Amino acid sequence: MTEPGRTEDQATPPSGARVDPKLLEILVCPLTKGPLRYDAEHQELISDRAHLAYPIRDGVPIMLVDEARRLDGEARDARP
Amino acid sequence: MSDSDAMTVFDRALVRRRRDRAAPGFHGHSFLVEEVAERLVDRLHDVRQGFTTALDLGCHRGELGRRLLAAGKGVETLASCDLSERMARHAPGLRLAADEEALPFAPGSFDLVVSALSLHWVNDLPGALIQLRRALRPDGLFVGAMLGGETLFELRRCLMEAELEIRGGVSPRVSPFAELRDAGSLLQRAGFALPVVDGDEITVTYENAFRLMAELRGMGETNAGLNRPRTPATRGLLTAAAQRYAELHAAPDGRIEATFQVVWMLGWTPHESQQKPLARGSAQHSLAQTLGTLEGKPPAGSA
Repeated sequence: MTEPGRTEDQATPPSGARVDPKLLEILVCPLTKGPLRYDAEHQELISDRAHLAYPIRDGVPIMLVDEARRLDGEARDARP
Repeated sequence: MSDSDAMTVFDRALVRRRRDRAAPGFHGHSFLVEEVAERLVDRLHDVRQGFTTALDLGCHRGELGRRLLAAGKGVETLASCDLSERMARHAPGLRLAADEEALPFAPGSFDLVVSALSLHWVNDLPGALIQLRRALRPDGLFVGAMLGGETLFELRRCLMEAELEIRGGVSPRVSPFAELRDAGSLLQRAGFALPVVDGDEITVTYENAFRLMAELRGMGETNAGLNRPRTPATRGLLTAAAQRYAELHAAPDGRIEATFQVVWMLGWTPHESQQKPLARGSAQHSLAQTLGTLEGKPPAGSA
């Protein structure tokens, strides 16, 4: 599911760490610069305009288009 | 690479992998970043005002961010982002992974954006500067340091000459860097006021060229140019280059010298309080009066 070389570091905060609300206030979609919806249950930031869901891993938002899940009906983790 | 064009010099996915790979051991190779972070914070001390919200762009493991928080410049909220998630996880403040070429920040999010040795890996530097200017509030400050074109000229030369000798041709084995002379106009075109650009040289000595190259790998700074050779340099080539390096660029103590050129960029987001030239035709005194000559008459003695 994750590519090799992307395993967790020792200094990774304990899983379940939540993203800081202050960060959510300033984040926008890197592609469209439009607003993001915070999906607390799946720990994702959703850009409706770009049809992308950016993952939040252990409280750290991964705002990279390459890492985002596409929302056009594709299954989760279908991307390489 | 199918998407490569004139603007695309660097393989960003490779830059990211290199930084990811360097992240766990980066503290052993962070000398240059720490030195530049130190100098950057020194520059901030020359600025009178404080900054409440700041962004460390391309934060590595937080070498600059930690100094910024300790600098007494009033930073209450610090965001630290890096293309590499594994780097950013070690940084202080609000951590995230972000791409300098596609910034995820709402307009006017910060009073200060700083960046130490990351922007030289960006393909579209004008685009990145425009995006980070927008992420700043009016009268916000950007201070960035990136590696410039003189960086590693010794290594470049030795690799080139060794390859010419062995293979009869050359391939670019060291990444291209930004030129100091371009930086000022880039800032201006991106809409920054009062831009300041200058260059710094940092000379570091190493035991030999192999240690230098190991350091570059440890920093995640090895060549990620799209035109990089697809075949790794052979041991023979590297040995020849290292010999040449030791002959040509030895320090007095027998170690070798490596030059890193740091290009500094500083600019403010426009605000009405900033000094700017007066509007044309708004002068209250004629130039002739100021010079003590009579208007309409050339000064005596001029023909």
